[in-house]
Amino acid sequence: METLIIHLLNSLLYASVLFLIAGGLSLIYGVMRIVNLAHGNIYAVGAYTTAWAVGRIEGGAPTIALYAILPIGAVAAAALGAVLEPTLLRPLYKRPEEYQLLITFGLLLVLEDVMRFIWGAYPLSASALFEGMGSFSIGESIYPAYNLAVIIVGGMAAAALWAFVYRTKFGVILRATSQNMRMASALGVNVNQVYVQAFTLGCFMAGLGGAIIVPQQGAVLGMGVDALILAFVVVVIGGLGSLEGALLGALMVGVVREFGITFFPEIELAVLYLMAAIVLLIRPAGLLGRA
Amino acid sequence: MLELDHINTYRGPAHILMGVSLLVRDAEAVCLVGRNGAGKTTTIESIMGLLPLRSGKITFGGRDITRLPTHERARLGIGYAPEDAGIFPDLTVAENFQISHWLARAPRNARPQSPADDMDERIFAVFPEVREFTQRRGLHLSGGQKKMVAIARAMTLSPSILLLDEPFEGLAPVVVNRFIDAVTKIKAMGISLLIAESNLHTARRVADRLYAIDRGEIIFEGDPRKAFENEEVMKTIRG
Repeated sequence: METLIIHLLNSLLYASVLFLIAGGLSLIYGVMRIVNLAHGNIYAVGAYTTAWAVGRIEGGAPTIALYAILPIGAVAAAALGAVLEPTLLRPLYKRPEEYQLLITFGLLLVLEDVMRFIWGAYPLSASALFEGMGSFSIGESIYPAYNLAVIIVGGMAAAALWAFVYRTKFGVILRATSQNMRMASALGVNVNQVYVQAFTLGCFMAGLGGAIIVPQQGAVLGMGVDALILAFVVVVIGGLGSLEGALLGALMVGVVREFGITFFPEIELAVLYLMAAIVLLIRPAGLLGRA
Repeated sequence: MLELDHINTYRGPAHILMGVSLLVRDAEAVCLVGRNGAGKTTTIESIMGLLPLRSGKITFGGRDITRLPTHERARLGIGYAPEDAGIFPDLTVAENFQISHWLARAPRNARPQSPADDMDERIFAVFPEVREFTQRRGLHLSGGQKKMVAIARAMTLSPSILLLDEPFEGLAPVVVNRFIDAVTKIKAMGISLLIAESNLHTARRVADRLYAIDRGEIIFEGDPRKAFENEEVMKTIRG
């Protein structure tokens, strides 16, 4: 029983981070119809920034200060998004989609090199945060308390995002813009402003994912590409552009991956891709996506 | 109120509007009549800024709005109901109304306390039946209801002018009468109207003045009754 609980907690941990990444990707696509191939590296920027900031103050500062500085990765990712959208993406909206794919793919490569330039080729760690929380017992096993904190943050982020999109004025405007951009502008909506806000929010989510997972697994070059691929699996399953779909997809991928690692590690990734392929064949728009 | 001065608009490589000029005065209902593809929708979309002008000038309330983005034109008080109604399918009717209500040009402190009061005044006065389906999603509205909501939604902007693109198209004759009543009420509120319409008989029932457009050029301007006496106009519009 305790093994099952640990597996479930690990699934939720993985799903929480995946939701933050895939939810941001889906939000950006839903509003702006842009498939942001650099999204994974925005997540990596969040991870690197937090690891770097923690490393800077670690040693002299109290532990609480380390936790307080954790969201800095999300803020850095959001700030990066707020700069990238108007400068790199906005000029391309009236061009065919290939241009957007090309520019975001170029951005993926540029960000990878920028991270290498700033933080070097070696992994960064923020494990003091992970260790600082200790662990708790589940039966005869022990489980890191930090993992539980990540699950809680992921759950709270999902709830806050839902409330933001479905219960606020800005959420109504965001949904209107995503459904009919021309009509929204004809009703007085400043679409450029909505786009930059949506892109910033999407990047914030990815950055938060990176920031909260870095104490557990560190920041390494290439983590963004790995995350992007899995985020695509999530949105293919759930439906690109659907936040509910991103949540469902993240939970499914989280559970299948955890049990895959345990019971059939050789084909764990293959099972995930197979699952995405089956969904694509049966429901091309994803389980909760709209064709 | 609204003046177009020799505007030229392209859709891709196609030159659609060729030096179109027209004028809508305060509290005046003007119809722009023409066959499908004559340039009516392009004219309306050019006024809203949804299509860029290649040349020419648009003034609204004495202000040059030629280079103004669409959302700023809307906030100045240009209401727009497109041919397909443009209802947001996943939003409720009430949410469809709230967007422009929040962004309307009137200062917030000048508005009534409750948004519902404001809507009562501006929307339900024109289409009282909308009250029955404010909680319904756009997706679940009939064609007539969508057109009704589109016009009512444009009213939430506190507009000085409404641009209605084919508001009577696809409606049963009895419903057309209902819409003509609504247009008459809007005009009585002192709001100007520019209505794109392909049926000359319907246009005559609502318009103070009429422009006929063909292949992107204005071919007639004046009293709607006189349009019927003009053979060229009748021939062009009837095809």
